[in-house]
Amino acid sequence: MFERNSFLAPNVFTVKKRMRIVMYAMLAIALCITGRLFHLQLFRHEQYSSQAERTIYNYLAEDRLRGGIFDVNGRSLAESVRTHSCGIVKRYVKDKNATIDFLAQTLGISKNQINEQWKKHKNFFFVAKKIKPDVYMELAGVQRKALGQGMELTPEYERIHPFGQSAIDILGEANSKNVGLSGIEQMYNEEMTQDISKKRAKRSARGDIIYDRHLKDKVNVGNVYLTIDQTAQFYTERALAKAVELNHPQHAIAVVQDPHTGNILAAASYPAKDGQSLAFQFTYEPGSTFKGIVIAAAIDSGTVAPNAVVDMEHRNWEVAKGFVVRDKQHNKDYLSLAEILQLSSNIGAGKIALEIGGKTLFSYFKAFGFGSKTDINFNGESKGSVSPYSTWTKVDLATKGYGYGVAVTPIQLITAYSAIANGGELMQPHLVDRIEYTGGKVEKKAKPVKIRRVLSKETAQTMRALLQTVVEVGSGKRAQIKGYNVAGKTGTAEKLSKEGGYAKRNHVVSFCGMVPATDPQFTILIILDNPEKYAFGSTAAAPVFKEIAEPLLVMKAVAPDQLDF
Amino acid sequence: MKQLIILLICCVIGFIVTFIHVGISRTGRVVSKLQQEVAVKEARNQYEQLEIARLSGPQVITSFAAQELGLVQAKPHEIFVLDAK
Repeated sequence: MFERNSFLAPNVFTVKKRMRIVMYAMLAIALCITGRLFHLQLFRHEQYSSQAERTIYNYLAEDRLRGGIFDVNGRSLAESVRTHSCGIVKRYVKDKNATIDFLAQTLGISKNQINEQWKKHKNFFFVAKKIKPDVYMELAGVQRKALGQGMELTPEYERIHPFGQSAIDILGEANSKNVGLSGIEQMYNEEMTQDISKKRAKRSARGDIIYDRHLKDKVNVGNVYLTIDQTAQFYTERALAKAVELNHPQHAIAVVQDPHTGNILAAASYPAKDGQSLAFQFTYEPGSTFKGIVIAAAIDSGTVAPNAVVDMEHRNWEVAKGFVVRDKQHNKDYLSLAEILQLSSNIGAGKIALEIGGKTLFSYFKAFGFGSKTDINFNGESKGSVSPYSTWTKVDLATKGYGYGVAVTPIQLITAYSAIANGGELMQPHLVDRIEYTGGKVEKKAKPVKIRRVLSKETAQTMRALLQTVVEVGSGKRAQIKGYNVAGKTGTAEKLSKEGGYAKRNHVVSFCGMVPATDPQFTILIILDNPEKYAFGSTAAAPVFKEIAEPLLVMKAVAPDQLDF
Repeated sequence: MKQLIILLICCVIGFIVTFIHVGISRTGRVVSKLQQEVAVKEARNQYEQLEIARLSGPQVITSFAAQELGLVQAKPHEIFVLDAK
């Protein structure tokens, strides 16, 4: 019998031992798998889940919400719609031809076009921008597949204006990242936008972009409601476009204001450029439309009685040595205030200005708001120019009487005429009615604010009657509207020439009026700057007033104020 | 043996935690996908709404009325305004 020597005996694996070894091995494998899963799920979860959801992260990355712009009745004028741009990172594309085929077919672009871009750019190029949701879904569908490798879908926004270029000079522009660049878009950028995620991206080994995101809890963007009425804006733009086609001016402006509230109902510019509204930025010498302001100042200050007559000095008035003012449009020796306005007499207005005196006239100009911004808060608003009266010579004073030597903006002039229309109160003009936040807060911006009384009620009423005669029998006949009394004043002003003095061929024609004259609901100003052919305020601008006013009267259901028509 | 059992329990717990996490992630992905679909549909709806706004705007209505229906815009004096009183 052999004795078992445990020391010398070879290693014998018993069944029990073997089982234990197998178990340990299995346990080690299980531990490895569990450990790896643990590692993947708990420590590398973000990376992999981001990778898996990269389309979503793409969608949310650099998200900046932007409110819309609406007219006073809630019609949408500008709204942001989420779209995508599609770019290609060349080095990550697996199958060039297949990718190009797919993109060409999906995006409706020619293959040659994409190939040209491919050759032109070293590494990255955009294939298409502002991709609509349906197409985006098709592209996103292949993103995780080989076909979609190297394809980048980046979120961006399309700012849509349902009415095209209508009021674009006021609205301005916002870019694809929802940032306002001009006009109302820029002015109310802070109120209208909110960043809801911040972009943090890295590229994985396969070339995919992995975004991280940070979302804010509350969304609170503002929707800006303008005082503009889209229908009034349409009629105004239509009439102005017609006038532009007829007269080919360098610039053209039409503004409609509610004289009782100061709200701007419509403002059109030609040429219409993003955020460059000429209603607030254009300055010009108003010419004869300013006579209405000067005569109002004369009556209100008691300098001239409404029934006064002015000596025409045989229509050749030497203001100072070497400076003669002539009236060629009439042959009368004396003119009443009404006739001065009807015939647009420079002698009459100049003499009245001298009668008022520099100091008083200057104080009226300032009271009407000339020479200072209206605080309508439009970017680039001009304040015009009225020099201090202490610098005025006799000639300066006389010429200011008929609207030369002062520079005004359309918004200043229409607001001044609105004061005549509403009974003598200068109202704060408004362009923004309110801001409504998604959280429910409403910020009212266009509360009627009386800046000051500039004319007595009686003076304002007298002026309306005088201006009414301009349309009835004077230069403003073409602004007549059947059934309605219209009050207004035409203007034809020569422009300053570069060589000095005034250019005979370059001029600004205008008409500023109100309707119905007995209780004005609209004040309308039309300006045509430098028409191609020589024109007058009476022939070129007054008909535009009629063209704008007629549909507005229908729209607002304003009853006629003439009894017999 | 006792240690082995503890290890086995740890493994089982590990597996359970992992599977729960996988489940959560999967649900998260489904939610994200649905959110994406909602966002796309919202964008599509927004486009439609804006198109409706354009079509119901004065530009389109006026030109349609004049060109297609031969309507002529009434002059203000042709309209009778009834007093609500």
